[in-house]
Amino acid sequence: MKITRRAFVKATAAANAAAVAGISLPASAANIVTDRARTELKWSKAPCRFCGTGCGVEVAVKNGKVVATLGDPQAEVNRGLNCIKGYFLSKIMYGADRLTTPLLRMRDGEYHKDGEFTPVSWDTAFDVMAEKFKAALREKGPTSVGMFGSGQWTVWEGYAASKLFKAGFRSNNIDPNARHCMASSVAGFIRTFGIDEPMGCYDDMEHADAFVLWGSNMAEMHPILWTRITDRRLSHPHVKVAVLSTFEHRSFDLADLPMIFKPQTDLAILNYIANYIIETGRVNSDFVDKHANFKRGAIDIGYGLRPEHPLEQKAAGRERAGAAEPMTFEEFAEFVSAYDADTVSELSGVPRNRLEALAELYADPDTKVMSLWTMGFNQHTRGTWCSNLAYNLHLLTGKIATPGNSPFSLTGQPSACGTAREVGTFSHRLPADLVVTNEAHRKTAERIWKLPPGTIPAEPGYHAVLQDRMLKDGKLNAYWVMCNNNMQAGPNVNEERLPGYRNPENFIVVSDAYPTVTTQAADLILPTAMWVEKEGAYGNAERRTQFWHQLVDAPGEAKSDLWQIMEFAKRITTDDAWPADLLEANPDYKGRTLYELLFRNGHVDRFALDEIDPGYENVEAKAAGFYVQKGLFEEYAEFGRGHGHDLAPFDTYHAVRGLRWPVVDGKETRWRFREGSDPYVEPGSGYQFYGHEDNRAVIFALPYEPPAESPDDDYDLWLVTGRVLEHWHTGSMTQRVPELYRAFPDAVVFMHPDDAMARGLRRGDDVFIESRRGRTRTRVETRGRNKVPAGVVFVPFFDASQLINKSTLDATDPISKQTDFKKCAVRILKASEVTA
Amino acid sequence: MASVIQRLKAYWRTFSRPSRHLSMGFLTVGGFVTGIIFWGGFNTALEATNTEVFCTVCHEMRDNVFAELKTTIHYSNRSGVRATCPDCHVPHDWTDKIARKMQASKEVWGHIFGTIDTRDKFQQKRLELAKHEWARLKANDSLECRNCHSEVSMDFTRQSMRAVEAHQRELVPGNKTCIDCHKGIAHQLPDMSGVEGW
Amino acid sequence: MKRSTFFIAAMFVAGTTLAQSASDEIATLRHYTLGDEPEPPRIADIIDSDERRARIHPMQPPTIPHKIDNYQVDLRANRCLSCHSRTRVEESQAPMVSVTHYTDRDGIVLAEVSPRRYFCTQCHAAQTDAKPLVQNTFQDVADMLGADAASQ
Repeated sequence: MKITRRAFVKATAAANAAAVAGISLPASAANIVTDRARTELKWSKAPCRFCGTGCGVEVAVKNGKVVATLGDPQAEVNRGLNCIKGYFLSKIMYGADRLTTPLLRMRDGEYHKDGEFTPVSWDTAFDVMAEKFKAALREKGPTSVGMFGSGQWTVWEGYAASKLFKAGFRSNNIDPNARHCMASSVAGFIRTFGIDEPMGCYDDMEHADAFVLWGSNMAEMHPILWTRITDRRLSHPHVKVAVLSTFEHRSFDLADLPMIFKPQTDLAILNYIANYIIETGRVNSDFVDKHANFKRGAIDIGYGLRPEHPLEQKAAGRERAGAAEPMTFEEFAEFVSAYDADTVSELSGVPRNRLEALAELYADPDTKVMSLWTMGFNQHTRGTWCSNLAYNLHLLTGKIATPGNSPFSLTGQPSACGTAREVGTFSHRLPADLVVTNEAHRKTAERIWKLPPGTIPAEPGYHAVLQDRMLKDGKLNAYWVMCNNNMQAGPNVNEERLPGYRNPENFIVVSDAYPTVTTQAADLILPTAMWVEKEGAYGNAERRTQFWHQLVDAPGEAKSDLWQIMEFAKRITTDDAWPADLLEANPDYKGRTLYELLFRNGHVDRFALDEIDPGYENVEAKAAGFYVQKGLFEEYAEFGRGHGHDLAPFDTYHAVRGLRWPVVDGKETRWRFREGSDPYVEPGSGYQFYGHEDNRAVIFALPYEPPAESPDDDYDLWLVTGRVLEHWHTGSMTQRVPELYRAFPDAVVFMHPDDAMARGLRRGDDVFIESRRGRTRTRVETRGRNKVPAGVVFVPFFDASQLINKSTLDATDPISKQTDFKKCAVRILKASEVTA
Repeated sequence: MASVIQRLKAYWRTFSRPSRHLSMGFLTVGGFVTGIIFWGGFNTALEATNTEVFCTVCHEMRDNVFAELKTTIHYSNRSGVRATCPDCHVPHDWTDKIARKMQASKEVWGHIFGTIDTRDKFQQKRLELAKHEWARLKANDSLECRNCHSEVSMDFTRQSMRAVEAHQRELVPGNKTCIDCHKGIAHQLPDMSGVEGW
Repeated sequence: MKRSTFFIAAMFVAGTTLAQSASDEIATLRHYTLGDEPEPPRIADIIDSDERRARIHPMQPPTIPHKIDNYQVDLRANRCLSCHSRTRVEESQAPMVSVTHYTDRDGIVLAEVSPRRYFCTQCHAAQTDAKPLVQNTFQDVADMLGADAASQ
């Protein structure tokens, strides 16, 4: 009976499964290998396309198509493992709706803001685009053009884009979507250490005795790093894992010390731990005396809303958000003494015994602690403070820059570090931690870029949220969105973004591989090559730079971001972009295309095509006539070499599984700032936080301050937004992979069963989730992976049909300008009871 | 004062020797009626303790096991037939029920003295508590499961393939009882290291 | 030849899409104006058929062919391994976890499943009956081999 049944099942199962999966199985499933040559695959290395972990994958190509990927066993990061998204990488480029030709909104044969998308040639696309950019430059000057880029850009794409805007257009209005992602961590690093990015690396995970997750659901968002922590925890019984969040998620499955805190009270918990360390006499005085300064930060700094907003009007410290004054240790101790266990337990809702157990992990000199954070800290109106306060704990105890002692900011995008941060595609930055506001820094950039002094503007450009506001206000008019889906990912869609995109004064260009909701709001859509359809480089969260070759061709007319940037640069001349006085003072620069100026500068174009690995195609280099990726990379690397940001020679990266900068004398650096492991630290010093001139890191006194918006009688629930394991960000890639789509097809609102019952709702009910700014229609989920406490709801943002960012608030950290996507007030209404 | 004592004495006489003062018929019928009233009262009181409302008066139950139950199929499901605490945890047979109730006095003790008054304490005690329930269900062949889930009434064509196979192989011949495989379906599991089959 | 055919096909698809619909339907994962709030699809059912599915390539972790509602995988218990671990499959008749799961980060084979593989759902997911919004043109390598053989 059993046998018969099984046999029957097997016979039908394959066909059924294939039908369900939408796979057509080959008619003759050949099971005998008759010709080795036929079955051979070409395997090449590449980093994964998704998160900031930076897993290595091996990619198999056959007949010009990617047919398989596997976790690269040689990659240090993941040693052969991938998460579910990584295992399905081979499908991300093959959504049937890839964009293959430029599409322009046209009516009666010409561009029209309200026209229908119509296929056009690249020439037409660039002609119209150039006309719009030139018109904006002519009428309103360089601040009227801008770009919204990406932490998913390759290093050279970000570098080329940054050059095009900061030098070519002389506009600092270029910002990456990484602003939404880890700008607070950047500001935190710069404030405390004077230099960006973690001092430690992933190796810390094999050394730590305790892991503390501060607002990071690593089990879903950084699954491979979670495997390393899981490995450590379950292999070594003494290891403890503490997880803090505003709701219970999958990372709690490994938690020895689970803690749900009330939104925003992480600030108080951090100060409580500092207080505990001091009161129990566990300050590492020797370390603190030698290597740290104490500072009192400005308070009441506002919420990064429009200046006329009542909250901003009220904020006394708004104009000096990043300021700080020196203080003594005693003053610091006095400052944090207000954060005693009872007060903080009451404020945060975390039981006292758990707070004490958490504090003890930090205080105990024999426990090596790794603190990890992502969006819980970063997407926070006091995100920079959160970083600063976490560093306080590691600095007070001297638990830093040694294996296992590691405050570690994780990134969400594959090259948030490599491109957005290191290349400096932020509106205030230049490569290698240089900033536009510093004259010496601008001069350095102008020297390397072979540009006359005064080319780069000194004023920071519009950051992400400000770009939206300026588009809406008609001050930013020609705008290029590249390699991101900001209409879905950015906050406050209805009030602050969509109006700007559809503002008749503005021309919006969106480059993407797939039609997204951002392309839907665009005027011109440019079809884009992705991932291994081009040669690329990414930098992950542990300072590891990784390269890959072009492995397959892009479909149709799709071209890489780099090609698009360079081709567009051919359409604009210095006469169009630069002011007369600059040209008069430097007549050699008159009448030159930005392409010549930026890419044929005798520097970027110095490597010939024959230096390209003959085993691989390189579309952009062949179009340019020189090895453009190598030229851009080597020029870019000049910024950091000898300045603590050393990168290895270009060709090295094609041979290795990534290297962690600074790479000095061919050796990567695993722990910075510590003598013996960082070549920049002078012998005899022990530690040097050389980002600051006095080689000291800063311990900051910063208080708890309330969030910008909290639930009240009208909007009675906290809304938290975020991701799920199977989808990456806005789902433009993963929603097109059938297996990932079917694993989690549509967004839902995770609700506590009691909250649902109190509103007469049940699982699966059709509801509106509504804030003061907009509403989204979704379905109630009272089960599943996220267990929210009463009073909190969680909605993932991957679903293009459920734009949860219509509800979120564009309040930002006033220092980092990063949006708080984790806290705003909403209410939930049964759809059938809402009169539309 | 004296009259009160006199009256009490009279009552006591009647109470201590009822047949001297009242007829046998009255005593028989009256005793029967009183018995019913008392028995009914006892049973009503007993049954009042057999409700979810009663169980979840204590926060130990409400915040731990009951909160966990809410996300499971035994709380909310297609047909709306749901299990309340006593359905699974109180034997339906009277003798067993009384025995279980006597055990429950220990739980009252635990509540008063805060044996599991925090989530941490509950988690630490969880294996022991779960083991009691597993042992009870193992000993009675998962009686409380079978009160609703009769093996005879199972339509195997309505079950998933692996359920059919497991049920045909293990349940029907009586190799295993429900609780052997279905631990942790209504509440979270304790630390299962060392538990057979885990 | 092959590429140009593909290109023409892609152009055709794009062209027809445009001809049939307003520009507000360009976003294939949405199909509504940005102002609309469409009725969300019902919460999809998990496929509980227990039927094994073809993998897109040999290294793909199999998707889970059954419900895993409330399966506990945490510090206290691993419900998945209670059927799929080496010692449990005789009784459960479930497929044993792959041998790859027994090697640690350094490639050393352990006596039990490696802790780095402990959280099953990092790689394995159940599948709902939701119908994908767009087709995927990924080609199975076996199809390529078949086509090659046919053309020879």
